[in-house]
Amino acid sequence: MTGSRSKSVVLWTFVTAALLMLSAPTVVVLGASFTAGNIITFPPDGLSLKWYGAIAQASDLRQAFVRSLIVATICTVVAIPVGTLAGIALAKYRVRFARSIQIYLLLPFTIPLIGSGIGLMLVFGNAGVLGKLWPVGIACCVINLPFMIWAVTASASNLSPDLELAAANCGAPPLQRFLYITLPAVLPGVITGSLLMFILALNEFLVSLLLVDARSVTLPVQIYNSIRSIITPDLAAISVVFIACAAFVIALLDRLVGLDIFLKSK
Amino acid sequence: MRTPRAAYPVTWRVMDMLERLAAAVWPSSFQRGLPYLMLLPAIVLVGLLVLGLVQIGDTSLRVLDTSTFLMSEDYTLANYQRVLTENFFATVAGRSLMGSLIVTAITLLFAFPYAYLMVRTPSSALRKFLLVALFLPFFIGQVVRAYGWLIILGNQGMVNEALGLVGVPPMRLLYNYPAVLFGLVQYMLPFAVLMLAPALTAIPNELEAAAASLGAGWVRTFRYVVLPLSRPGLVGAGLVVVTLSLTDFAIPAILGGGTQDFIANAIYDQFFRTSDQGLGATLSLMLVAVGSILVGVVFMLFGAGTLAMGETRK
Repeated sequence: MTGSRSKSVVLWTFVTAALLMLSAPTVVVLGASFTAGNIITFPPDGLSLKWYGAIAQASDLRQAFVRSLIVATICTVVAIPVGTLAGIALAKYRVRFARSIQIYLLLPFTIPLIGSGIGLMLVFGNAGVLGKLWPVGIACCVINLPFMIWAVTASASNLSPDLELAAANCGAPPLQRFLYITLPAVLPGVITGSLLMFILALNEFLVSLLLVDARSVTLPVQIYNSIRSIITPDLAAISVVFIACAAFVIALLDRLVGLDIFLKSK
Repeated sequence: MRTPRAAYPVTWRVMDMLERLAAAVWPSSFQRGLPYLMLLPAIVLVGLLVLGLVQIGDTSLRVLDTSTFLMSEDYTLANYQRVLTENFFATVAGRSLMGSLIVTAITLLFAFPYAYLMVRTPSSALRKFLLVALFLPFFIGQVVRAYGWLIILGNQGMVNEALGLVGVPPMRLLYNYPAVLFGLVQYMLPFAVLMLAPALTAIPNELEAAAASLGAGWVRTFRYVVLPLSRPGLVGAGLVVVTLSLTDFAIPAILGGGTQDFIANAIYDQFFRTSDQGLGATLSLMLVAVGSILVGVVFMLFGAGTLAMGETRK
């Protein structure tokens, strides 16, 4: 880094404040989940794992978590083929109206989440499938699809077209070229994208809130409904499940593709 | 002795079969259509959103009949007239718009140094630490984060307990406008940093060194070299933060406690409290329009920047 002492002082002041802001809720939720008391106080009344025991017993929380997992799985399973194919098509082929198609595929990002959620609620409501879990999965997939396509195009544009031509020269038919050349080349992007899709669908709150009914609440909605009534430490314990999932996905991302890819300009 | 069967493994046979199947389903004369076929599933999925918008548009043109609680059969613009004339909606819209602008300014102020340090630091351990600290809250979800803030800022929360130790009476830190804005800034920081980082990576370090060697202090280098060059990233990040915080639901709902509703909360209430779907749909459509116009204007002025997908073909 070039610069003086005053520069690093200013930089670090802002960065420390940002770090505090970013991590305070996580740290506090972690801490609160280990409290021995019946309400959350600071400093905690002592350490215990009893709230983890409590959430293991609570069937409503467990079921909500399973529902969230199902939703996230459906979302990822749908997003992988759809996003991969679209990403490769956009990055590799000369497509007519490419610009319009790109703008169209960015719609999930430009339409506010509440608009998408209400729209999908009306669509699924008219189709009579509201209250099932798969529409929630599909909805999460639609609203986050640009992440998947972005991840795939980013790695597909690094693939040299010569490689595929070389494979064709060696007599590989189209499907083999796709499976053995194109797909492995975009695999880092597919992994990044699908991890993003999974964790974002696991945490998706607003669209879930609009699409679920009382019998099919997902975990974020369940937590939201509970914190509006009374704040008890069992919610902190169940929130730790989310923190653990997030940490796991980050570790996986770092191992498989490296977190640095988010810093690169295309 | 090798049989011909072993020389030609099963997987090859399967591949050949699949290959023939693929050729039968999509002969090579259709080659030009292939990319469109690959794009089709994505276009269909996003089509659900378009269908949703159409249905919102349809609903917004019907009014609620308060005697039967059914939507009217014929179209009218009465809902739009109500939204534009009633003071309540102007208040909510003003609060959201003001809030999102303040949040954007504060978020960019903190996100820029964060992204800069993350990109420029020579230590890869520090870079990884900053990345993890960024992704962890990003992946945890709004509800859990807001829950953390409830614990910290509540009436018996950590801040008030700590203030009590030094003799300051408890303050109401939650359920007011600053609490919502604070929560939004925290929610937006990862988005902003992740949008800024690629733009900052693209600025060569040598440029700053060159400015310094010509005698510019870091403030001047920053002002005349780094800041102008990072404009695409700043615009992209600012745009994302404005639209996301303008349309957020969870933070105003949880940290505002129902007293600091943003537009999204008003829409939710129309659908689920007063059951006036027509009015809710009208509000949604107007929010979508405002959001799209905002995005469109910035794209026209500054280009799509970081948001462009597959634009750079190598």
